[in-house]
This record gives sequence, structure tokens and C-alpha cells, in this order.
Amino acid sequence: MTETIHNAQPNIYKPAIMKIVARHDEAPGVRTMRLEFQNPADHEQFKKTFRTGMFGLYGVYGEGESTFCVASPETRNEYIECTFRQSGRVTSALANADVGDLVTFRGPYGNRFPIEEFHGKNLLFISGGIALPPTRSVIWSCLDQREKFGKVTIVYGARTVADLVYKHELDEWQKRADVDLVLTVDPGGESPDWKYRVGFVPTVLEEAAPSPDNCIAVICGPPIMIKFTLISLKKLGFDEKNVYTTLENRMKCGVGKCGRCNVGSVYVCKEGPVFTAEEVSRMPAADL
Amino acid sequence: MTRILFSDKLDNCVAKWRSAGLTVIGPVQGESLSSYATVEKGTDLHLGMVLPDRSLKELFFPQTEPMLRYTIKKNEIETADFTPPSAQRIIFGARPCDASGLAIDDPLFGWDYKDEYWFQRRNESVIVTIACTKADDFCLCTSLKLAPDSTKGTDVLLRPLDKNRGWLVEELTDRGREAFAIISEYLQESSETALPTVEVPEKFNLDACVAWLQNPENFDSKFWKEISMRCIGCASCTYLCPTCHCFDIQDEGDTYSGIRRKNWDSCSFALFTMHTSGHNPRSTQSARWRQRIMHKFNYFPGKFSVNSCSGCGRCSRQCPVDMGITETLQEISKL
Repeated sequence: MTETIHNAQPNIYKPAIMKIVARHDEAPGVRTMRLEFQNPADHEQFKKTFRTGMFGLYGVYGEGESTFCVASPETRNEYIECTFRQSGRVTSALANADVGDLVTFRGPYGNRFPIEEFHGKNLLFISGGIALPPTRSVIWSCLDQREKFGKVTIVYGARTVADLVYKHELDEWQKRADVDLVLTVDPGGESPDWKYRVGFVPTVLEEAAPSPDNCIAVICGPPIMIKFTLISLKKLGFDEKNVYTTLENRMKCGVGKCGRCNVGSVYVCKEGPVFTAEEVSRMPAADL
Repeated sequence: MTRILFSDKLDNCVAKWRSAGLTVIGPVQGESLSSYATVEKGTDLHLGMVLPDRSLKELFFPQTEPMLRYTIKKNEIETADFTPPSAQRIIFGARPCDASGLAIDDPLFGWDYKDEYWFQRRNESVIVTIACTKADDFCLCTSLKLAPDSTKGTDVLLRPLDKNRGWLVEELTDRGREAFAIISEYLQESSETALPTVEVPEKFNLDACVAWLQNPENFDSKFWKEISMRCIGCASCTYLCPTCHCFDIQDEGDTYSGIRRKNWDSCSFALFTMHTSGHNPRSTQSARWRQRIMHKFNYFPGKFSVNSCSGCGRCSRQCPVDMGITETLQEISKL
């Protein structure tokens, strides 16, 4: 990569160049890509700053940039993994890119999950559909230092069996004795050989009834799932302060200047994307 | 004793600044809208207008700006940074509201990540502001706790003498003093007094409005729907505003080469916040107008301790349906 730098200061809008080193189809229209930094300085900067929960702007020159989470954990920072659903201009261009092709990454931006504060606690991960990627970053960051945490429970659901992402990792978690995985699909989404639960995530969560004692919950999913899961968690006795989630909004700059990602006074790109349920409850619901 | 710059010396000053390598910029009457633009002679400056139609913002944050050029080759992407062409500039005849607007946006472009496109131009510009001796019905600086002779964002303040004879010179910053040292031969010591600044009546009680906006209950007030019913979402208010800073980033080109640009964007547009999924957090014009008002008087001051409005009145002056910040805050004052 050759560059012409006219600027004494680094250009904050300039992305790093990344090579696609692997890609994997997760579900219809959903793909995971593993990206490696081409410039060692960019990689060093990433290793220094990346913590689980942060996001980035992934791009293809000529098409633009799109915001999603870093799906890989902070404990594995030799590369970046992202998982996206092909739906717009940028994600279509990303989906058309092959192993060996170059794309761009700008970040990591935003705040993080305070994992150190979770040490010694039980962890409950609740996720729905395409929202497993941000949760997965936290899950692996914790499983890679498993001894520091108590019981780990993962509740994951999707509309149909085909829509479950990271199927190979779900198998791995299923087999682990130190992880309790509860899988479910929405009624009607089961296949003939489906041997796990059928039901919506909040219902299945209430049936599994994890104890709120010394427990941190991390939930991520479509707004409707979050809404009802928060009600279920409340029923189970969880304090809003111990429930974390991550928000996403349309972004262009990622660094608090382009002016669109705020919910009320809160800039998702700078003060988020990770919030406690208590923080979210203070935001104006009509702006979410 | 203060120093005076007489109007008949303005041509000499412009020539002098230009020969010293400065680009001279000031209010000019364009073909349709007046704006701040480069001039070659002092007589090109239209210093008589209340304020130009377009704000000073565009000289620091242009409507469209190339940031990167990309060239995609086999197994290689070449990128080149665009930076604003380096030019020492003097802006002669800024209005206090426009100069204040620049200072208001400095912390926004500087927090954590420094936007060099903004700061390079800020560092290369001397702002010479002329205090206002006339105003129109839309001017509202005093309602924003500013004044027709506010010095926020200003390097040199000029106070007009009677009969358009010239200005009393108040040099406020080192940068201003350096620029005026270049033209010192045209300045005269004098004990004259300047004209009084114009009286701009206060249009609303800002503190009361802000208190109403800060009350979470009012976020869902039906007021927002009523006040914004006639908004057509044209974004004129945001584009002409000296402090509105929202932008989009877009690529222009083909698969192999092109330019990544930063373009003005506006909270008035539905697409501004639209998710790929189709969900839009601000799906109605009333939610978008609420965002604009809340951002200026509640969110922005919450972060940077300053309102994101300098009271120029352009939003009301140029609105095709007679809305604007004044109308909205006046209505809030009545609630």
C-alpha cells in the first residue's frame, strides 16, 4: 500500500486496509469474514485499543462504509471477525468480496463491556438472531479466561433453525461442560430433526429461570426481543444495573461529529454502544 | 486613543494583505444568494448588508469536501489524503453571530478525534468582525445571550464610525494583531467614538425554554407535532445555519478509483437516521424538528457548555414556510 500524506496530522476519516483471509456463510444472507490488517502500525493501534463491545466501520471503496460490531473477542486480536447480513449497498459489496480481496476498517470506536467487573460472577448471555455476533465477542472474551467467571449460561434463539448463526460454535458450546447453552427457535421455525427448544426467547428464558444472584446478564437482539426479555429478567429478579446491552444506530463518522446516532442526549458512537438496561431506561423511548 | 481604519483606505489594505500572501474574504453579493467569498479589491466587499444569506461556516466546513482519493489495483489499494489547500486567510467583515458560530463548533470538531479539515482552516484564518449597527426582524443574538458586538471567535473587532467613514479597531488576539501590523501604515490614531451597536430586542427567555427542553416529560409533548406540522423537510435551515455541523460521507467514482467526500447532511431528512432494516428512530418530521431544537439547546450545551445557536436568524429568514428557531422558542416560552 502506498500513501501520500500531505497532512501533518493523521486523517481521522481514513480507514485501515484489511485483507479477507477467511469467510464463512452462517445463515441465508449472513456471512462472517475474518480480516487481517495490512499495515502493522494499524494492527498495533488496534491491539492497543480494542476491547470487547467496540464497533467499527467496515467499507469497500466506491460503495462506502457500514457500521457493525467487532464479532471477535479481545482475547484474539490478531485479526478482526465481522458478521453481517447482506442488505444494503455496502454489505452487498462486502458479500461480493472474496478471500484475498481488500476491504477497509475504521475503528475500533465506542465503549466496551467492563469485563473486569464481571470477574467472579455468573454470566447470562441472551441473544436473538443476527445479534449473536456482539454477544459472541463477549462470550469468547470470557470463555478464553474461563476460570475468572462463575457459571456461564447462553440463551440463543432465532426465527428458524437455518437462521441460527455460528452453528459450529453452538455445537462447541453445547459440548462444553462449563457452558450451559439453551437453544430455541420461534414456533414454526423448527426442522424435523430439531432437538432443542421451540419458543420465543423471553419465554424460554423464564423456563430456564437462571438465578439473578451474583449474575450479570448481557442481552442483544432485535428491539422487540429486548423489550420482552427485559420484562422477563425483571420477573426473574435481575437488577437493571446488572443487565448490559448494546445499541446500534446509523452512523457515518463513528467519532461524535456527524450528528445522527444520538438517542436523546446520548451519542451511541461515543458514550455507547454498550449500556446497562438502567441507562437505556433513562433514554427517551421515542428516540430509540 | 484607539486606532481607526478609514473606509477609503480599505482598497489599500486589501491590496496590502494580498501582497503579503493573504487571501481576503468578505461578504459579497452573489448571483442569487449573498455569501462570504474571496475578493480582489476592497470595493468588492458588500459591508452594508445586515448579514450574508449564507453563513461563514462553509469556508471552514464546505458543502462538499474531498477527503481521500482511492485507486484499487490488483491486490493493492492506493489512497491519497486530500487536505484543504493551505492558505492564510483574512475574513474581513464577518458578523459577530457568524464568528461566534465558528467558536461554538470548535469543541465538536475537536473532542477526542480532531478533524483537521476544520482545524487547519481555523488555524489559517484571521476573523475580522464588524459590530452590527443595523439588524432586521429576524436577528436574535441577544436572545442567545450574545450581542451585536460579541467577540467570540473574533480576532479583530471593528466598530463602525458614522457616515460609513470607517471603523475603530479592537485587536483581540495575536493573530489579529499580526494581520493588522501588515496594514499599520493605513491606521490612524484617533479619539473618535464609534456608533452605538443596534438594539436587538430579546425575543424569548432562553433559560425558561432550556428548562422546558430539559424536562424529560416534554420530549413526548404534542407541541412538537403542532409546531412542525408545516415543515417540508427542505433542510435550508440546517444548511444556512452557522453552527449545524452534521455530515455524510459518500464515495464518488467507480470500482477502481474515486473520491471519498464529506458532504453536508441534515437532521431534516428521513434518510439521516434510517437503519438498513427500515427502522427509523426519527421517522416523522416532528421527531426530526425536535431533534434539531433539542440538539441545539439541550444536548449540545450538555456536552460543550454552549448553545449550538448564535442567533443569526437565518433559519427563520430563509424558511419557505416561516418556521425557525425563533418561532419555536417563542411558542415554548408560552407553554
